[in-house]
Amino acid sequence: MAIKDITLGQYFPGESPVHRLDPRTKIIGTFVFLISLFLVDRFLGFALAGSFLMALILSSGVPFRFLFRGLKPILFLIVFTMLINLFMTSGTELVRLGPLAVTEEGLYRATFMALRLVLLIFGSSLLTLVTKPITLTDGMERLMSPFNRVGLPSHELAMMMTIALRFIPTLLDETDKIMKAQTARGADFESGNLFRRAKGLIPLLVPLFVSAFRIAADLAMAMESRCYRGGQGRTRMNGMAFGRRDALAAGVLVLYAAGTLYLRSWIG
Amino acid sequence: MKKTKTSEFWVQAAVIGSLYAALTLLLSPISYGVMQVRVSEALTVLAMLTPAAIPGLTVGCFFANFLGPNGLMDAVLGTMATLLGAVGTYKLRHRFYWAPMPPVVANAVIVGLMLHYVYGVPISPLYCVLWVGLGELISCYGIGLPLARFLQKRKGDLGL
Repeated sequence: MAIKDITLGQYFPGESPVHRLDPRTKIIGTFVFLISLFLVDRFLGFALAGSFLMALILSSGVPFRFLFRGLKPILFLIVFTMLINLFMTSGTELVRLGPLAVTEEGLYRATFMALRLVLLIFGSSLLTLVTKPITLTDGMERLMSPFNRVGLPSHELAMMMTIALRFIPTLLDETDKIMKAQTARGADFESGNLFRRAKGLIPLLVPLFVSAFRIAADLAMAMESRCYRGGQGRTRMNGMAFGRRDALAAGVLVLYAAGTLYLRSWIG
Repeated sequence: MKKTKTSEFWVQAAVIGSLYAALTLLLSPISYGVMQVRVSEALTVLAMLTPAAIPGLTVGCFFANFLGPNGLMDAVLGTMATLLGAVGTYKLRHRFYWAPMPPVVANAVIVGLMLHYVYGVPISPLYCVLWVGLGELISCYGIGLPLARFLQKRKGDLGL
């Protein structure tokens, strides 16, 4: 389980009630939360969303610094967006610094959008922090299985997702190996303008593809030799079942959703 | 022993998805945001060679977005864009110079608008679309087209 599990998909191991929820509950819950963020039209709504999320984070035992990690890559974007909204929105002026004016509307808008974005990121990060990628794909397979009747090959899709996940670290290693091998033969990945560098990736990509397709061919052969027949009649070792915990979670979710909608239509 | 087409198809799809995700994550500084040049988008030309690329790229994009900084919204919308693009490329697979166009258009429109409306990027929607489109053009045509030419000659090596 160790390092690879943690670095890919940022899973934070734990045994909290949130960790133990059925993956389907967590997936649906995350969607409900994310959609609710778009239904919020006033700060009070964010207060509700924020407290709900805070309660979840605290009960999951995930340290806050992991959530903030998810924010780092787009911190620049958030600040940039805030600044533009702050200065470029027209309306009642509050402060003026030469040609730039901070308006009341701008302040409102900037804070609103920033808050929503931060909650969006935290919400989706939490899902990956408390669920192992493999468990997630299992959950998605079960959620998709009703669509089998309309021709969606849910099992094959889930299997494909599991295999894809499993090979990401392998291919990352391959890429590294190929880059070093090509560099040793005089390839140049560093210099040149954008186009030169883009073309320079071909000596990297082609061997990578050959490698990848070879892996695919071997794996398919191995599966066939073990009589893999697809999803028909397949059972799993660790069954997925909704428990009391999930029923409780569902109840809390419904309350939260109702709360969000209520706050929305409360005044006018 | 004859291999069933089915498992090979899905495993190839899986590996293509893995490639997409691995490359996007590897080059993550330039893979997300308005000024994105996703090198892995060049992989959409694989749809010219095999239909397995359609589900493969979709899943790869899903993981790349899901494990990346933009979260679930990007995972759903960005993935749809990749799916539409891949289907388009597959349909245009016999028109070499037009084939990489569908991902460019699909991503430019869907991801561009998403960045403006969902993430509140304060550049006008049109410019968001154009910037993403530019990044896509560089990957799909700049890298993708030469890649496609190379791969088509070596189809046998890949077992396609």
